[in-house]
Amino acid sequence: MTILSIRDLSVNYATQDGTVQAVDGVSLDLEEGQRLGLIGESGCGKTTLLKAIVQVLPRNGRIAGGKILFKGMDLLQLPAAEMRQLRWREIATIPQASMDSLNPVQRVGSQLTKLLRVRGGYSKKAALKRAADLFDLVGLDTERLSHYPHEFSGGMKQRAVIAMALALEPSLLIADEPVTALDVIVQHQILEVLRELEQELNLTVMLITHDISVVAQVCDSVSVMYAGRIVEQAAAEPFFSSPAHPYSLGLQQAFPNLARPRDVLVSIEGYPPDLREPPSGCRFAERCPFVQDACHDIDPKLEAIGDSRAAACLRSNEMDVLRVQSEDPSLWQRVEVAQGLAPTLDPSPKMREGLFASPAEAQRVHAPLAPLWGKEPGDGGGDVLVQLQNVSKRFKIGGGLAGLLRGDKEQTVYAVNNISFSLRRGESLGLAGESGCGKSTTGKLLVKLIDASDGEIIFDGADLAAMDDDSLLAFRSRVQLMFQNPFEALNPRFTLYRSLTEPLVIHGWKDENKRLDRVIETLDRVNLRPAEVFLDKYPHQLSGGQLQRVVLARALVLHPDFLVADEPVSMLDVSVRAGILNTTRRLARELGLATVYISHDLSLLQYTCDRIAIMYLGEIVEIGPSNQVINNPQHPYTKALIAAVPVPDPTIENPPLRIQEGVPRPTEQFIGCPFAQRCPDAMEACLTVRPPLITDENEHRAQCHLYGEHRDSPKLKRQLP
Amino acid sequence: MNRGVVYYILGRFLQSVMVLWIIVTLLFLLFRLAPSNPLASYIDTTFTKQQEAALLARFGLDKPLGEQYIIYLFNLLKLDLGETFSYSGKSVMDILRADLPNTIYLTLSSLLLAYLVGVLGGIAMAALRGSLLERVGTTFTLMTRAAPQFWVGMLLLTFFAFQLKLLPSSGIGPPMVRYRWETEWDKLMSPVFWRHMILPTFTLALYLHGLPLLLMRSNMLEVLDQDYVTMSRLAGYSEWRVMIQTAARNAMLPVLTALTLGIGYSIGGNVVIEHVFSWPGLGRTLVRAVQQADYPLAQGAFFFIALIIVFMNFIADILYSLLDPRVGATAQAQVS
Amino acid sequence: MQQESMAREGQSGKAKTTARFRQGSAIRQLWETNLEVFQRDKMALFGLFIFAVFAVVAILAPQIAPNDPLNPLKNNEGDWIKDAMPYWLAEPGEDEAEGYTNTFLLGTTNIGRDIFSQLIHGSRSALLVGFSAAAAVAVIGTVIGLLAGYYGGWVDTILMRAADVAFGIPFIPFIIVISAFFDPSIWNVVIAMALLLWRDTGRVIRSQVLVIKEQAFVSAAHVSGASDLRIIFVYIAPSILPLSFLYGSFAIAWAILTEASVSFLGFSDPETISWGYMLQDAFNSLALSREAFYWIVPPGLCIMLTVMAGFFIGRGYEEVLFPRLRRM
Repeated sequence: MTILSIRDLSVNYATQDGTVQAVDGVSLDLEEGQRLGLIGESGCGKTTLLKAIVQVLPRNGRIAGGKILFKGMDLLQLPAAEMRQLRWREIATIPQASMDSLNPVQRVGSQLTKLLRVRGGYSKKAALKRAADLFDLVGLDTERLSHYPHEFSGGMKQRAVIAMALALEPSLLIADEPVTALDVIVQHQILEVLRELEQELNLTVMLITHDISVVAQVCDSVSVMYAGRIVEQAAAEPFFSSPAHPYSLGLQQAFPNLARPRDVLVSIEGYPPDLREPPSGCRFAERCPFVQDACHDIDPKLEAIGDSRAAACLRSNEMDVLRVQSEDPSLWQRVEVAQGLAPTLDPSPKMREGLFASPAEAQRVHAPLAPLWGKEPGDGGGDVLVQLQNVSKRFKIGGGLAGLLRGDKEQTVYAVNNISFSLRRGESLGLAGESGCGKSTTGKLLVKLIDASDGEIIFDGADLAAMDDDSLLAFRSRVQLMFQNPFEALNPRFTLYRSLTEPLVIHGWKDENKRLDRVIETLDRVNLRPAEVFLDKYPHQLSGGQLQRVVLARALVLHPDFLVADEPVSMLDVSVRAGILNTTRRLARELGLATVYISHDLSLLQYTCDRIAIMYLGEIVEIGPSNQVINNPQHPYTKALIAAVPVPDPTIENPPLRIQEGVPRPTEQFIGCPFAQRCPDAMEACLTVRPPLITDENEHRAQCHLYGEHRDSPKLKRQLP
Repeated sequence: MNRGVVYYILGRFLQSVMVLWIIVTLLFLLFRLAPSNPLASYIDTTFTKQQEAALLARFGLDKPLGEQYIIYLFNLLKLDLGETFSYSGKSVMDILRADLPNTIYLTLSSLLLAYLVGVLGGIAMAALRGSLLERVGTTFTLMTRAAPQFWVGMLLLTFFAFQLKLLPSSGIGPPMVRYRWETEWDKLMSPVFWRHMILPTFTLALYLHGLPLLLMRSNMLEVLDQDYVTMSRLAGYSEWRVMIQTAARNAMLPVLTALTLGIGYSIGGNVVIEHVFSWPGLGRTLVRAVQQADYPLAQGAFFFIALIIVFMNFIADILYSLLDPRVGATAQAQVS
Repeated sequence: MQQESMAREGQSGKAKTTARFRQGSAIRQLWETNLEVFQRDKMALFGLFIFAVFAVVAILAPQIAPNDPLNPLKNNEGDWIKDAMPYWLAEPGEDEAEGYTNTFLLGTTNIGRDIFSQLIHGSRSALLVGFSAAAAVAVIGTVIGLLAGYYGGWVDTILMRAADVAFGIPFIPFIIVISAFFDPSIWNVVIAMALLLWRDTGRVIRSQVLVIKEQAFVSAAHVSGASDLRIIFVYIAPSILPLSFLYGSFAIAWAILTEASVSFLGFSDPETISWGYMLQDAFNSLALSREAFYWIVPPGLCIMLTVMAGFFIGRGYEEVLFPRLRRM
């Protein structure tokens, strides 16, 4: 039976600058029991489609045409009161940012029972019973019913929202980005819950996401949206094995994949068209590597191209050939290169003083980079630039005069605990781990935003703790930080020129013309061309991807030796992520930069880094060459992290996780192994004895009892999820 | 109640005591170091040296400053505020004790009226956002906040008391009746008293309703933007439930805190209204005491008002931590 | 299309670009925020207009006022012209019978002073008190908020405890006591307000500084080697100054109201005419029972108008700074 059938639906938003056609002639069918994944980058109309279905469009939104048939009823003709009755009983929605969807001043249990009683007509007793059952179903302890939302972790809130969505046994569940912003391990567990429930309850699901790996794990069919239209529809397996639209091709190639790593990721350069005046031809033409003249004139319709597949592309009949061609990343970079001549520099100090390279070198730069990780440390990969020796960072919370007055006990948070590693010139290191593992604190220590409580950080021979004002200023000119959120990283009141020129002014560049030259050169180098155009813009006038390039430019404007990038792309759309990463990686090589990437995304670190360090509760539990750590993980925590990364391939099912979500707060120091509490392989020794540091011939180190003298210690008995 | 909340309350209490101590000290210094001699207006030229010294001794003004301060603090602890200059033989406490109930009646009745109107009005303004009615409503509220209270009182007095002769113009009762009330209960039961209360209450409420109204309006607008409100729409709750049960309930929390704070500040701020309506309360006594240079009385009234404000600030903090589980939790997290 | 225009701009010479982007200074940004407030919000512009009108009146008061505000007017026989009605209300011929010509727009007081002239002169103290108190409150509050928020630690503790104390002191009683102890002067009100009212501004600015301080662009400045002073003045202050203006505008309103209240209670300098003083005069001379609306209404209206002007401007800032509250 067809549950939902959308026919030729169009939704407009009235804005000050004209009408935006957010959804334009979309048709879609959802059969009972089907799990449809709706993919696309932000602003392509996915969420608008959802809002149109349940009719909660904002005031300026209007349905311009089409039909939405739910079990044969036309929702658009339904009176408001009946539509309201339909919501949640028939169509339940897990909204975007569902973490904030629970009322903060009401107990979660009473929110759930209120829903059951008001909307479901349950009696008080039955509602309590049902609420407990639902919590059981999504894997939450029923005691938690009496807790407030702030006492829940992110994953638990998400589970609670799922429980609420299932409360009235809806025939259709629509989930908008249900796992975005969750840690990998939590993400994995939520997806597992969703998958189990789908099977158990035979749910009909529409899942909206930008993350194709989530779709690969949970859905059986896929619709791809671009600029308000559906450009491809297919069952999951053929979609992932043989995508039939250039946009789908690009999305897949832009995604890092732990199972099948690539040398260079594809970046779909450019931005979706302005939907106030959509182009008359194909909407993807501007960004498409296979564009032909006809594409600009003819608007392709979504047409069947085989058994229950459809694509909207003029060249869909040539897709087998194009698919092979699309494997070549330089094809996708064509757009980027065409915008200007890519400059390049030799990492020698003389060249670093800012000379533009010859056009011919541009080609060399865009050739795939040879992976660096095969290089043995110490074989001429540069001398040691940064060295950390037993570094710790403790924070005190509570306490102080105010704390004394409030009766707060002082507490110590061991954010970073006795870590040591070194970094050579030109080398890149990735720091990974769940949130709260101390990776960002390490980043701040490295750039001396905060000072270490213990241990030494040596930068180019100088101890960070013992710097006078002059050497500190010199240090500041050589070390830079790149931030996660490009929208916050630039002063909203400064023009880009002002932002970029600030570091130069601080470091005594008096000559305005020289400053201007340097700023333009740097903008050019991060592929913002023509650079002059950007100088008088304010941050809000740029897109996220462009802004992150400006942030990179500011970090590089002083030609530093060392760059720390804290989650540099996690706020950006997948399609532009690769572009930023590629540029950063290329520039780091050109400038001989040592780089530390901080990310929760292992596949991204594998792509960008020579070495990876895995952190847990402030300690480095494993460190080594990237391919070694990913393909031959030693520490159980590393294994769990890798197992949790969803693979963008429906044929590969993620292995079940053996650890529980939830990083404890690091307020105590452990005698044994910090991970012992969550470790599936924990032994008795793990609780009492410090694990040994095991090193193999590749400088691949892990700190774990499994490989030491206590390997035969008796296993701890504990219940696993 | 868990340990965190208890600690939080205890800590806040200690803090309030310290704040009060500092205020009391400032008050002492202010009155002792004032440019003029505190007894100047009572010592006339006919006084002999002995009479003057006796007067100084009677009020303890002959002792060194440090000793005066210590005595002053101990007396405060016993709630002994000394003797008045101008009402011979009466202690400051006697006078304030008679004033305090009148001030409290006026404050509470006008605050309740103001917050009732303000909260409902705020919800309505938020619901009517962007309409002509909203613009008229908020402009009217702004006008009531901009108009000086005593002026509004004067206009109402002129109109209702003098022109229409509907309501009494001053005091809490006609002079003959005033002293017949033997207990506060008698006073509260008397229709005469209530008739006298109408104009001052209404004037004060007219001024006070602006804060809760504007606060409620902006809180509502903020809460209506929150995801959990969207969620309850998505869940198919009726618009009434969304607006009242979810949004208004959450938007109320800061308004309740404002009400608690308002009790404190109104008691101090009623001065002008009490003066206009000759309402025998703390504020009018303070004004008179200052005018007549009756320093012990002025100091005592000031102390009393400050005590009430600090206490209500304390209550507001506690109330908020009890109403919003998140505040109590941060307090708890810092302890456990 | 956007790209095309970008490319075209790009070709224009370097000199031209330099001139344009140099203007992105903090001061210009601040100016633009202020401009935006008055462009977006017509009510704020109206508030500004009210202030402008009263300012002109205050400056030209001696020229505009037909009579001396303090000296009683006398009739032909040398008696005070007591309680004259405005000429448009008075019975015709009454003035001639009493031996004077009634040209009084708003009548006279019970001792024969010209009410209209008093009204004109009253604008002087209102604006003087309003603007100087507001400036003091905004400056003190901003500096304290900046210091407490940026430096934290014991600086923060001390300043915020001081704010707690200021919050515990009753405002009007404090001003009354201050006014009584010092020689009567409108500056008492200004000093008392400056001593107490920084508390709200200081707290709000502090919490705003705490937010801005943690933003990535400030960390970026740290990492680039910017000094504390540079961070405070170049990065943080421009972002919070509009907030100071917001609180400053509201402080103008409170100051005018407070000055009126204090004068009404009789603690102002009897040699300086203010609207509050006029109302006190009316109240004490039983103008209420004579239903002398022409005496009671105008000073109150003037107070209300100027106070509302402050509110309008403050709300204009609110709308730009906190768009959520926008009236749409």
